[in-house]
Amino acid sequence: MSTQVEPITAGERASNAAMSRLLRRLHTGNNIAVGVIWAVAMLVALIFVAIIVDLVIQGFTARLGNTAVLLNPDFWGGTEFGIASEVFNTFYILILTEIFLVPIALGAAIYLVEYANQGPLVAVIRFAAETLAGVPTIVLGLFGFILFSAQFQLHISRLAGALTLLCLNFPIALRLFEQGLTAVPRDLREGSLAMGASKWRMIRTVVLPSALPGIVTGIILSAGRIIGETAAIVFTMGETNPFSGVFTLNPLIASDTLTVHIWYLKTQDIPPGVTAAEASAIAAGSAAVLVVILLVINIGARSIGRAIERRITAA
Amino acid sequence: MDMPRRGPLPPLPNALANVAGKGIDVQTQLELQNVRRGHLYDRIARTVFLLCAILLVIVIAGIFFFVGQNALHLFFEPGGATFPGFFGGTTWDPTGVTSDSGIPQYGASGLIIGSIVITFFSVLIATPLAIGVALFFVEVSPGWAIRFFQPLLEIFVGVPSVVIGFLGLVVLVPFMTKLVAPITGNSPVGGFGWAAAIIVLVVMIVPTIASISIDALRAVPMSVREASLALGSTRWQMMSRAVLPAALPALATAVVFGMARAIGETLAVAMVLGGSDILPSHFGLDTFFQPNTNITQAILNEFPETYGVSRDAYWMLAFVLLVISFLFICISRYFASRRVYR
Repeated sequence: MSTQVEPITAGERASNAAMSRLLRRLHTGNNIAVGVIWAVAMLVALIFVAIIVDLVIQGFTARLGNTAVLLNPDFWGGTEFGIASEVFNTFYILILTEIFLVPIALGAAIYLVEYANQGPLVAVIRFAAETLAGVPTIVLGLFGFILFSAQFQLHISRLAGALTLLCLNFPIALRLFEQGLTAVPRDLREGSLAMGASKWRMIRTVVLPSALPGIVTGIILSAGRIIGETAAIVFTMGETNPFSGVFTLNPLIASDTLTVHIWYLKTQDIPPGVTAAEASAIAAGSAAVLVVILLVINIGARSIGRAIERRITAA
Repeated sequence: MDMPRRGPLPPLPNALANVAGKGIDVQTQLELQNVRRGHLYDRIARTVFLLCAILLVIVIAGIFFFVGQNALHLFFEPGGATFPGFFGGTTWDPTGVTSDSGIPQYGASGLIIGSIVITFFSVLIATPLAIGVALFFVEVSPGWAIRFFQPLLEIFVGVPSVVIGFLGLVVLVPFMTKLVAPITGNSPVGGFGWAAAIIVLVVMIVPTIASISIDALRAVPMSVREASLALGSTRWQMMSRAVLPAALPALATAVVFGMARAIGETLAVAMVLGGSDILPSHFGLDTFFQPNTNITQAILNEFPETYGVSRDAYWMLAFVLLVISFLFICISRYFASRRVYR
């Protein structure tokens, strides 16, 4: 065979040139597209970081009296300048709601994961969960107002607020708990059943302890939602505090939370003895406190879930 | 089937009785009792859990029942509204305080248009941003960037709307007022309105759409990407011609979820809309930069002060909102059912 290299014809040269032009165009297009995706992601990240940083900065630059609002002892007290009662109410309503939410949502999750067979009933329950998750929170607030406050005679109270928040967070908590339960390996269940345990005994002694990391994560993430909610509790829990004070466990008094406080101060009314500038500063401080609480909760959910998981898998 | 009961056991089958001779000893009897008690607990637990799950159905049925019942009063009570009057009228004045005659007017079209306009534009802006973020997460990003970005996104999915509304009110609105002064003719309230609400909503729904889109893109199997790359595509061709089309129904679900969130969003939108009962007389660029209103803002600010038939008008607004978001959920379910990869 001859080793002679065939000369490149003019036609081949032209097609080679066209090919390299095409390649160059494709690579330019690719670089532009990837660059745009980077730019969009960085822009969104920048906006998110800026929002958080700005909220905290507002808390330190808004002035109450002659110090920054977050450094003013009055801001942490129980006077009309202070948010002590709002912080107390926020955690009160959080705990009260979780007391209702955790057993009910966990029960529903256990039914769907452990007991239910595919069928019309499960389809209806899942559809209900999806629909409830999409109901606007203000509509839920009105529903809570008509059912809990009016029909159940709870009036505008913490209990009515907690029950409304239960309805609001039910689908989210259900999904998180379901994820926690389905993460438990099938072998564990089969092992327990093979030892002769009844189904309930299996759930109690094997499934629930193994699903603990997921359950704790679910509780903490739904806690973030409860603390951040406003529209659903304005009509059910009230916008202001009673004169007799809020530092009581009585679930039948009206009271406000941090979120409602911010909204009320900025758009509704200013308490007597407080100027507009001071009200603005208190709102800024409350927003900063709220964001810090939520950051702690979010980071806490991550690390606590991981810590429990490590403990269980190591044991 | 009759329920097992505690107390003395019924006589045992012959086979067992023979094994134990004349009867069975106390030990076996106790064990049997334990087994039966276990079954009883099992059945009780199952019933309790079922009731918990049924509660979900009861709640959603209750919402439609109570909101719908109160809403429909508006059309049947004396002094109420007519159907075309509610959806076609342009003057929203259920308490009759702004008109001289004191006759309440229930024209909600301005509120409904407000909700639809800000939802439409915010989703229009948020969708490309969110899908860009999702592509970055799944296809482009190096690991370190995701480790930083993921917690940020998760925090913002659940960010309280009042905080975003507060920031919109103290930062965005004053800035917008200055920015759009040439358009509004130096209106002191030019920063309020649809434009501010749209920007605030974009911030609120980008994380929602992005996190569902990320799941959608992750569900596309690696083999689709490999096949596309093996045919000589660049990375961008692989994304645009293979991955995005494969994930399209799931991405549509994400966008519809974003719409549902946007139309029901209350606090953030209400704080930057400014509030106004009068439908803009024309629809132009400056319409976006004047105090305006939508369904949620009207309910939030005015519902507590109303009673009687005028209160029913706000129930009707809530019912409209409920029906719209229910439709969105149905549409998203339809898209979800057409997903190829899960």
